[in-house]
Amino acid sequence: MSGGYEILSLDELERYPGSSDDSPVLMPLRRRLGFRPFGLNCWTAQHAGGTIIQRHYERDGDEELYVVVRGRAAFTLGDEIFDAPAGTLVHAPPGTLREATAAEQGTIILAAGAKQGEAFDPAPWEDFAIAFSRARAGDVDAARDAIDGVLERHPGTWQGAYNAACFEALYGDRDTAFEHLRRATEVSRDEVAEFAASDDDFAGMRDDPRWQELFG
Amino acid sequence: MTHAHVDDLDRIELDEGFVWRPVRRHFDIRAFGVNAYTPSAAGSQIVEEHTEGQLGHEEIYLVLRGRARFTVDGDDHELGPGQLVFVRDPSLRRGAVTLDEDTVVLALGGKPGEAYEVSVWEAMFAAVPAMREERWDEAIRLHEEALAESPDEPALLYNLACMEARGGRHQDALLHLQRSIELDPRYKDYAAKDSDFAAIMSEPGFPGA
Repeated sequence: MSGGYEILSLDELERYPGSSDDSPVLMPLRRRLGFRPFGLNCWTAQHAGGTIIQRHYERDGDEELYVVVRGRAAFTLGDEIFDAPAGTLVHAPPGTLREATAAEQGTIILAAGAKQGEAFDPAPWEDFAIAFSRARAGDVDAARDAIDGVLERHPGTWQGAYNAACFEALYGDRDTAFEHLRRATEVSRDEVAEFAASDDDFAGMRDDPRWQELFG
Repeated sequence: MTHAHVDDLDRIELDEGFVWRPVRRHFDIRAFGVNAYTPSAAGSQIVEEHTEGQLGHEEIYLVLRGRARFTVDGDDHELGPGQLVFVRDPSLRRGAVTLDEDTVVLALGGKPGEAYEVSVWEAMFAAVPAMREERWDEAIRLHEEALAESPDEPALLYNLACMEARGGRHQDALLHLQRSIELDPRYKDYAAKDSDFAAIMSEPGFPGA
């Protein structure tokens, strides 16, 4: 096989479960292949009935296409709810509510996405999802190294500092968590306050006077 | 339409034996390239033999259903559901024949580092049924829609000129043919041997006439 192409089975992709038993499992495809033109990942659920596509909107402007590769999913798109057997294609314009659960064990959904009119630039959420999953599996040091790497590559975003704060709140120390949170609020105080208010990752920090200083 | 099953997409059967199932065009996706392909019969081509040298695309071909034999850079690989080939190097020749009648291949691609632009071949493929049935007004309309987005694409201008010549719009055909040759002189030689232009070859203004 030449270096100019690669054969891969989706079953060979690594799997990174989310934080709860119901969270989706990320199967990073773009990163695995080094594919550069747009975002591309696979998702599966931890069990039949589990979430496979997290409820979200893509308000930052990504146009997305979901392809049910294997199994069957129950999709919500906007105000529409529908059955999506293998071979179903679901188009989600930016800002549209979308979520899906796996109607069958082993369901896999391919998600492609990018912004119209812009060259693709990978967002840091993939790195964070993988780092958190590794930390949950016990590899905290490797996860922290990965997060430090993301912050170096994507400095100045509130999402980066916010996720680093979550990580430190869960796996590190409270002082560093507050430092990251402070940096996040300096970029976008309103958005950080909105997310932080209901984020369980910070449950142990809300009685700290520094919380009041940031959000009080 | 926000969702569709791949079997319910349009079927555009091409001369090479594969059937184009237009995904991007169906949803009017503007951020990336994506299409599906099915065979016209067992054993037929399902991915056209081609390179992406001109477009510079990285491409992924994912088997959604059935089996296909891919040939990439001279190597054969039989792939089944959930298996893919990622062709990183645009210059590599690639193609596939189906091993099952109900095979579906999903193709995803784009040029790294650049915003996605709709490839003009989509309009030319979309016009094939109208061309076969000599519905020239529809074939011309499909080309004109694509030309509005890609006004300086010589292949599109040349094809449009072909449709106009066949459809009796001789002056439009001459203008579009002349423009395609201005952008790519190779089209002058193509036009001299192209039977689509039989009706206008003796017209003043036909290249080389």
